[in-house]
Amino acid sequence: MSTGQLGERQVAVRFTGTRRQLFGILIRGYVLMIPTIGVYRFWLTTAKRRFFWSNTEIDGDPLDYTGSALQLLIGFMLAVAIFLPLYGLFFYLQTQNQTVAVLGILAVFVGLWFLSGYALYRGRDFRLSRTLWRGIRFDQDGNAWGYALWRFLWSVLMVLTLGLVYPGMAAGLWRYRYNHTWFGNRQFSMTGNWRKLAGPYYLAYFLTLISALITLGYVIGAQGYTNTDGWFMPDATSVLLGAVTLLIFWVTSSIFRARETTRMLSTLRIGACEVTVNVTARSFMLQSAVFGIVTSLALGLLIVIGVVILYAVGGEAPGSDGSLPNFATIFSGGLISATLLVIGYLLVFGTFTLLWEIILGFGFWRLIARGTVLTNPDSLKTVQARAEDHSLAGEGLADALNVGAY
Amino acid sequence: MQLTGRYYDGHLASPLDVICQVEPAAAGPMLAVYGLISRELVEQWPAGGVYPVPGRKGEMRIGMSAELPGARLLVTDAAEIERATAMLPALGEHSRADSRRQLVIAASSSLALVAVILTYLVGVPILAERVVWLVPPQWEENLGETVAMQMEDQFREQGTFVVCDPNPQSVANRALARFGQEVLADTNSPFNLSITVVKSEIANAFALPGGRTYIFSALMDTVKSPDEFAGVVAHEIGHVVYRHGFEQIIATAGTGALVGFILGDMTGLSVAAGLGSALIDTRFSRQHERQADEFSAAAALRLGFSPHALGDLLDRIAADDDMTKALALLSTHPLTEERRLALEAQPRTDTPGPGPFSAAEWRAITAMCDSVPLRDATTGT
Repeated sequence: MSTGQLGERQVAVRFTGTRRQLFGILIRGYVLMIPTIGVYRFWLTTAKRRFFWSNTEIDGDPLDYTGSALQLLIGFMLAVAIFLPLYGLFFYLQTQNQTVAVLGILAVFVGLWFLSGYALYRGRDFRLSRTLWRGIRFDQDGNAWGYALWRFLWSVLMVLTLGLVYPGMAAGLWRYRYNHTWFGNRQFSMTGNWRKLAGPYYLAYFLTLISALITLGYVIGAQGYTNTDGWFMPDATSVLLGAVTLLIFWVTSSIFRARETTRMLSTLRIGACEVTVNVTARSFMLQSAVFGIVTSLALGLLIVIGVVILYAVGGEAPGSDGSLPNFATIFSGGLISATLLVIGYLLVFGTFTLLWEIILGFGFWRLIARGTVLTNPDSLKTVQARAEDHSLAGEGLADALNVGAY
Repeated sequence: MQLTGRYYDGHLASPLDVICQVEPAAAGPMLAVYGLISRELVEQWPAGGVYPVPGRKGEMRIGMSAELPGARLLVTDAAEIERATAMLPALGEHSRADSRRQLVIAASSSLALVAVILTYLVGVPILAERVVWLVPPQWEENLGETVAMQMEDQFREQGTFVVCDPNPQSVANRALARFGQEVLADTNSPFNLSITVVKSEIANAFALPGGRTYIFSALMDTVKSPDEFAGVVAHEIGHVVYRHGFEQIIATAGTGALVGFILGDMTGLSVAAGLGSALIDTRFSRQHERQADEFSAAAALRLGFSPHALGDLLDRIAADDDMTKALALLSTHPLTEERRLALEAQPRTDTPGPGPFSAAEWRAITAMCDSVPLRDATTGT
């Protein structure tokens, strides 16, 4: 605990959870999802949120997540009610002539993209209105349809300008979300604008673009590939250029993410309480590198184990000429092969999700929490509770569209 | 017995360190909250109304009343937590009741889902079979056209889609069309049949929704008699007449919805949704193959060719084809053995008819693809 420039008290946010605890919650959840045919996922989401919320401690008092699994379940049912007619529409469109079908399906996707903005906003509302700190509820007002429309129009502009307007879009949406966020009867305010994002964004955009163009130019212009029997093999220089492009993208996009989070959230205030967030590009790079390496190793191991099991079940050794053995005996048994496929898929999918949650999900939350400092937190002691918000039935669409982290 | 903790009153964001004890009152025991320093009474809550709130490790969060969810007491010390549990039996009761409630909700929604799945597995084949006849044939033709275009594009990319003998007025094409019409006679099928022979290394034939039927040239190399060939073509026409392709599409749409429902991915974009649908859908097709075989056999009897020839052909194609066996899981065809036995059970025509094709027609059909070079997919030219 320290004091700011004007002698105001400063306090850092603490995070007390461990990866081991989250691992336990996730494994238990994945196992229980099997007998419940996936229904348990609503309980898992709830448990996960309780873990993140309750371990986040602001000025000595932890957050509380008060949402329940039943609310998510009901929200999902509502979303299903919206999606079933869409399914019917989709099916009908497929039976129409080509032009109508293509245009119609395109229109449905555009509609879904629009709806995803609504779902994101509502999902955030759901989480905030079920978050307590010091016994006082957070909330979000504003118009979810308005947000969806605004985001939609911006994204049209994004397409037209090949992504150049992103800083304007992102800053505008950040501000809309946070300026409609409340802690009890006190409103948040965010002042960050596109200038905060422009530098790191255009750096990432143009460096990656230039590098990609150089690579493409070399491959096409200088014939940086060999063509054997229709297989295009890039030469060493092309591979090197491609790797450099990826490296540039990785570094500059990490810098952008870190700056975006740091600069936007540091313009946030809750009345007289100022928020300062500091996250480094290095930590983002470290996270994604660890995730990439661990995931490749784990999935590689799974594939090796899978092949070994197939050999064992198939009862045949690989041919000495390196040819694949005859798996026909395994795959012709419908039920066994179906079971193997399902188990294999669940293992691969489960491993990937688990690592994503443990490394990236946990890492990001803790990074933001530990990088946050509040100046003058005592001003929050006068915040009063507002009336209950009963209108929100689960995250609805958000759960169905699977948007919004945590 | 006293309890120290941190108290939030649910009205003001101003936490207070407190000391609590249970005191008897007229309406039952009350949990009285006193300021730790001031020792003044802050609030009284019915002790029976308190409930545990899930929190982090080494900490107990107590909700004071369901009416005011923000009113909380935080107890952090292990000894204090033990004391709280002893002092407030309502915590344990609420906790057990909540566990039971969660279990009931989870179990009943899982059971409901099982019921949905079972209803689906039983209901959709039946339903799809009925629904298909309510859909205007025009829809099916449109869909078939779309599928045909996509498929032709796909084959063309691999350099393997070449129509043998594109002239509709050639002897072979006229013979195929005439045979198709004869098979189709008396079926009231609303579709216009089109039979196209395509150059390909794969021995196969299939019918798309709406009547487009494709025969791959490798199949023509495998057939040993006009009867075998006629049997395959009639089998494919059977699929068209029964509208099997469209029925399959309806069923697939239903499966997609169900799998998406289970996975929570209603957009059906995940691999799991696709794989799950594919696994479930193979189930529908066996019945279809059997029906098409029966249709083919009936056509054989009517037009005077051997219904057994199709079985012989199936035997030959599937006998030594490991690839087919390897893909049997996702394949749409029932076991060859089973189908051959069913076909052999059909009565044999006692008086040999004129056969499906005249000698000249048969010569023309078998020669259709002779002048078309088989393109090698690997050169990609």
